[in-house]
Amino acid sequence: MRSRRLVALAGYLILLASLAAAIRPAELARRVRLVARDSAKDLAVRRLDGSSAAFDRRYFYFLESARRRLPAGARGIAVLAPAPTAAHRDLALYVFAPRPALVAPKEIPPGWVLAVEGDARPAGWREIAKVSGGALLERAR
Amino acid sequence: MTGLFPSLAAIAGILLAASAAGFFAARALVPPGRRMERIAWGFLLGLLLLAGFVAVTLAVGGRPGWLAFAAAAVLAGAAAKAAGRPGSPERSTAAGKPERGGAGVALALRAAIAAGVLLYFLRALTEPMWAADFLAIWGWKGKVIFGSGGLPSWTWTIPDLGFTHPEYPAGLPLVDAGAAFLLGRWDDHALALLFPAVQAATLLLLAGWLERRGARRPVALAASAALALFEPLYRAFTTGMAEVPLSFFLLALGTSLADAVEEDPGGIRRLALAALGAAALKNEGLFAAVAAALVAAFWRGRPRGVRTRAALAAILPALAAAAAHRLRTGPLPLRDFRTGFLFEPGFAGRLALGLETIGREVVLPAGPLLAGLVLLFAAGRRSAPARALLALAALPLLAYALLPAFCVWGPDWLVRTAFARTASGLAPLAAAALALRLSPTFPASSADAAGRSGGSTGSAADPAA
Repeated sequence: MRSRRLVALAGYLILLASLAAAIRPAELARRVRLVARDSAKDLAVRRLDGSSAAFDRRYFYFLESARRRLPAGARGIAVLAPAPTAAHRDLALYVFAPRPALVAPKEIPPGWVLAVEGDARPAGWREIAKVSGGALLERAR
Repeated sequence: MTGLFPSLAAIAGILLAASAAGFFAARALVPPGRRMERIAWGFLLGLLLLAGFVAVTLAVGGRPGWLAFAAAAVLAGAAAKAAGRPGSPERSTAAGKPERGGAGVALALRAAIAAGVLLYFLRALTEPMWAADFLAIWGWKGKVIFGSGGLPSWTWTIPDLGFTHPEYPAGLPLVDAGAAFLLGRWDDHALALLFPAVQAATLLLLAGWLERRGARRPVALAASAALALFEPLYRAFTTGMAEVPLSFFLLALGTSLADAVEEDPGGIRRLALAALGAAALKNEGLFAAVAAALVAAFWRGRPRGVRTRAALAAILPALAAAAAHRLRTGPLPLRDFRTGFLFEPGFAGRLALGLETIGREVVLPAGPLLAGLVLLFAAGRRSAPARALLALAALPLLAYALLPAFCVWGPDWLVRTAFARTASGLAPLAAAALALRLSPTFPASSADAAGRSGGSTGSAADPAA
């Protein structure tokens, strides 16, 4: 019985030590600083400062700016960005929810608006609003 | 503009209200005298209420709000009252009985548990939830349900949105949406509080169940402390995804399975609800419910009728949850997998690549942790409920190890993106099983034993096993 207890104790201490190794004080301090700095700010600003926008903060700024200028009747949003990745796709989808949003779709369904990051203006579309880092466009009639 | 802390307080109030409603209804699940377990089951019922009132209210064309939630809570309470309390256990419970000696150890372990909860609280709430699967799957669906009053058909009919996995169950998005409807807005930062709350409920269920099963309090606390500090599960990345809630429901599933097979009062009811919730959260939950039914069916030394009832209680509610989702969306393929690989010449290579990647990228880095677990396993003794819990953890683990061979994006891709995360969701089950095995290694002293009459349905050491 005593040997079993010693084995159990050794196992538990190894387990605890390996779990404790995952605790990084520098990371915790960074988290505390971020909460202290951002907690009173607007939710969108907190997301802008956070991990989901870290891959391209200007892109999130563009999306959020476009979201705020969307026409009420927009059925969905097609996003054109210079070099879209899966992270661009996911963030656009989430920001524009509950409306559907697709990044660089092959076809754009009727009633959707186009959110273009950058200066490109596809043919057949006309600008309806300038947004930070780009523009919103609708199909030219 | 609303800052984090006022929203956080509001979400805390919503979770407390749901838990209070669940606590009242849990009288039909948990026999008297098991305070920790009843709080945990009350929280679990509260989650089911949050998801359920949204689903039902939207299905009948209403707008979810406090009135609808209150109606759902009253209905749940009335149903609980009608069902009646489960019969009292044959023997009094051990939970809450003072234990002589070891006060310092217990205090240190409680401090470790508190540290683990605080650490996860900080990790989860540093910033709005951000993991890719939160943005593209779980949080997105919750935001759509909240914003458009349901999941519109375009969420599963636009082919380019296949990456949002419309085939996944909608339980977590419904919980998120339920809290958002009660809050009156979508706040994906304050909503993260749900996850440390689930962690706390998991720890309560673990410690309460272990103590009732005859584990000494330091053993129960030690298991809870190790689990609380288990960063692969309780980290910023998993916050917003279904692994943390599923791990809670899997623990509820495993513990109630053992209780049901050993005819603990209320065990069957708890098992049915845990299976329903697990299947509503993730496809892995449905798989676990099937595994639970198999474990019940092959449990040795129990009457066939009891085993059959337990197996049905595990499988039927889980199938009902899965069917409800399929009825809404129609049959949807598992997008990431193709069973046809099984019949292709390269399948053995795919299997080997998946297993090799698991070994290299998961097992080796976790070497010390796994060594500790092996020692703890070796120091314990066999018991039927511990074996059942281990089987319930091992069957999904085996599936997670084999599934990469069927992944269309490559076995190594699936291992890298999902294996460690999904396997970590089995940690509460493993903690319960190991602690139960260790109980006979750390028996109560005779003085303590006089004050503790053992578990309600058998002690941890099961000679028959």
